Amino acid sequence: MEKSNPVVIVGGGPSGTAAAALLGKYRIPSIIIDEAPKIGGVIYRGPLRKTATLPHLDDNLQRAMSALRRRYENYKSFIELKLQTRVLGPEGKQSLLLNEGGGLTTQKYDELILATGCHERSIPFPGWQLPGVMLLGGVQLQIKSGLVKPGTKMALVGTGPLLPLVACQLHKAGVNVIGVYEASAFNKLAKEAVALLNKPKLTLSGLSMMSYLKKHQIPFYYGYGVVNAQGDAHLERVTVAPYDQYWRADLSQAKSIEVDAIGVGYGFVARTQLAMLLGLEHTYTKVSGYIPVLSSEFESNQTKTYVVGDSTGLLGADAAICEGQIAALNIVKQRGILSATEAKKEQAKIARKHARIKRFRFGFDRFSERQSGLLELAQDDTVVCRCEQATKRQLEQAISEGVKDLTTLKMRTRIGMGDCQGKTCSSFALDLLHQAGHNKDTGVIKPRFPLDPIPFTFMEESLNEQV
Amino acid sequence: MNKYDVIIAGGGAVGAACAYFLSRDTDLKIALVDIKKAGNASRASAGGLWAIGESVGLGCGVIFFKTLSKLHSEAQGEEIPTMRPHQLPDCFFEFALKSNAMYPELYEELRNKHSVDFKFERTGLKFIMYNREDELYADQIVSGIPHLRDQIRWLDAKQLKEEEPFVTPDAIGAIDFICDHQVNPYRLVESYTEAARQNGVELFLNTEIQQVLREGKRVVGIQTASGELRCDTLVNATGAWANSLFKQATGRDMPVYPVKGQIVLSERMPKIMNGCISTSDCYIAQKDNGEILIGSSTEEKGFDTTNSLDKIQELSRGAMKCLPILNESNIKRCWAGLRPGTPDELPILGKVPGVEGYLNACGHFRTGILTSAITGKLITELVTEQPTSIDLTPFSVARFFDEPA
Repeated sequence: MEKSNPVVIVGGGPSGTAAAALLGKYRIPSIIIDEAPKIGGVIYRGPLRKTATLPHLDDNLQRAMSALRRRYENYKSFIELKLQTRVLGPEGKQSLLLNEGGGLTTQKYDELILATGCHERSIPFPGWQLPGVMLLGGVQLQIKSGLVKPGTKMALVGTGPLLPLVACQLHKAGVNVIGVYEASAFNKLAKEAVALLNKPKLTLSGLSMMSYLKKHQIPFYYGYGVVNAQGDAHLERVTVAPYDQYWRADLSQAKSIEVDAIGVGYGFVARTQLAMLLGLEHTYTKVSGYIPVLSSEFESNQTKTYVVGDSTGLLGADAAICEGQIAALNIVKQRGILSATEAKKEQAKIARKHARIKRFRFGFDRFSERQSGLLELAQDDTVVCRCEQATKRQLEQAISEGVKDLTTLKMRTRIGMGDCQGKTCSSFALDLLHQAGHNKDTGVIKPRFPLDPIPFTFMEESLNEQV
Repeated sequence: MNKYDVIIAGGGAVGAACAYFLSRDTDLKIALVDIKKAGNASRASAGGLWAIGESVGLGCGVIFFKTLSKLHSEAQGEEIPTMRPHQLPDCFFEFALKSNAMYPELYEELRNKHSVDFKFERTGLKFIMYNREDELYADQIVSGIPHLRDQIRWLDAKQLKEEEPFVTPDAIGAIDFICDHQVNPYRLVESYTEAARQNGVELFLNTEIQQVLREGKRVVGIQTASGELRCDTLVNATGAWANSLFKQATGRDMPVYPVKGQIVLSERMPKIMNGCISTSDCYIAQKDNGEILIGSSTEEKGFDTTNSLDKIQELSRGAMKCLPILNESNIKRCWAGLRPGTPDELPILGKVPGVEGYLNACGHFRTGILTSAITGKLITELVTEQPTSIDLTPFSVARFFDEPA
């Protein structure tokens, strides 16, 4: 057998692991780079410390976690894991700079699969920075991976299928969930019944979650959402109100509820910083923000560089697995291990499954489509960019003075110049620009090297190159 | 059809300054056309107003000079030759110093009349000396500019320690150029732009110029994605991209090309620097929000704006040697900008022989932020056909032409 270069995969979540396993099936070695101490991604990583049972997690999730683990175990002789390793950006051509084990290394590649997932969409409203106000995925991560209760008395606000799921998990973990507030109206969901039938099992499990909530008397309100959060040093109260079809809060019917924590889940954004830094072409979508432009095999405009999973747009873990496999099959084909016909046959099978998930998912995307009322929650003095403390007023003033794009907005207000590189504020800023009618050439907060801060002391050591 | 008296192509520091001064001093109808491109120098700049420092080859100059000397000696297998300051001609001193002198008043003017603040800070620029070679280098700088004696202070190790307590105790002293200061570069651009907008300049942002329109020897306007804009005078302030516009306007080439500079930025730190610093390894400036900016490489790599670890390491090591406290900090961000370079390091300003309706305002190389103010003033003088504040002959593009067109 001739020497075979490993395929480099960034991200060990569902799509990255699925790609590695499929490559392993055809005896192609791969390297998975992941920032966490375990593979699985935020969704299937599981607890970060050893535990015998996970009574608060449902069977579906436990099954999916062990399936991912099994995929890895079956082919692990072909898969090298570089865990607790962060990719800082490109270094020269066809090479990544890594922060690995407290020092800098490089990783060369011929074929690269980016499976970097997503991060949560942050919606600023008065009080959103108070301790106790958390994003919904973060809340879930505390119970799934941290094995800690995020609060004792909680409410959930937001939209989409994650709301009932997290509500059930919190309740099983012993949290007093006093209300779940879904921004869209129920009749809007009913309209999507046909789309939801594309994944009958998932729809059923959704229904069983709703009946679980009912059985345990956890109220679920449709057409309701957050207005603000209050408290001195910590969250004490949250105000919720009915939302109209544009998600504008009806303040005359607002009510205040006492809580010590809330989960806020108005969606996710594809995590594209590395793809952008590598120079891949991107396009804007309302649901997922900027996503890379890809072929049907998930290959980008740079040959042999693939993007899979939620970093290509939000479709969830099942679709991510399909995408990882389709991209991997393309590599198998290009390496001449499978004929074009064989590969196409395999890919078509997976693509059909992928299409079903997509139809199902698009139903929820339409149901949960972000409405303009969300932009009105933030008041003039609400901080939008917390790294640089830029307020909504500053952004709106700049836009009213003729700013039409994100880069100029950044230069004016410093949004996106902080440590997070705009992950928190740029989606909101984009929505503001779009609302002001600037839909063309709005631009991006351009990611900068390094994607994570590097200690100056690392610069004294010479680089350890890995081929 | 839109018709303007003046269209300014390029909204960086130079173009925005032209828009501001023209709109302040005339009643002309003015448009500013800009497109964001990777590597725009004004956004990448350090924001130093180092009139003397840059004129005597400090800042990026000395770093590049040291690298060149080293490469040269490696190639020849000789000892590294003693560095000599690379001093620019007198015309550049005049250009830089006159521009520098405009800033204190400009700062107040923009703040008071237009409520914009470009964070002008009186910092001085210190050249830090570590050894005898550095001292010789400083001696040569000082003896090269006898007329500027009153702008230079010599600091011994003890005085330096008092003024910059975080500089390494290994430093043996410094020379301080007391008139060299700093601004926030992108705030400067935004300030000029916003003030120009308030004065009635029409802004065409995100607008690519597709073609320069000519009628015979006269430039009459530009074609953009959003339509045709006609003008009596087109000002070329397109930085590293200036030759492309020049060629369309005149049918000839001029030597303006991108010279890449990489920058390293720290996280925010408490105030640890009282002034700006240049060593022979790097320059260092703490900006108004606490970040420490370290620059800069000098590379001719076309329009490439990627960062490379070797340069980032060199700059970081140079900065850590000077300010050991950086050992406790992180590199937050790196980037690269494209200086508009010219063979003699002088800008290209003013009319082009044989072409009407066109003015150059380009080739500002390392000092576009510093010399934006005087450029704005000079362009205004040219447009209104007044005598210019300085003699523009040495800055004419004609210096690169063997024979007239």
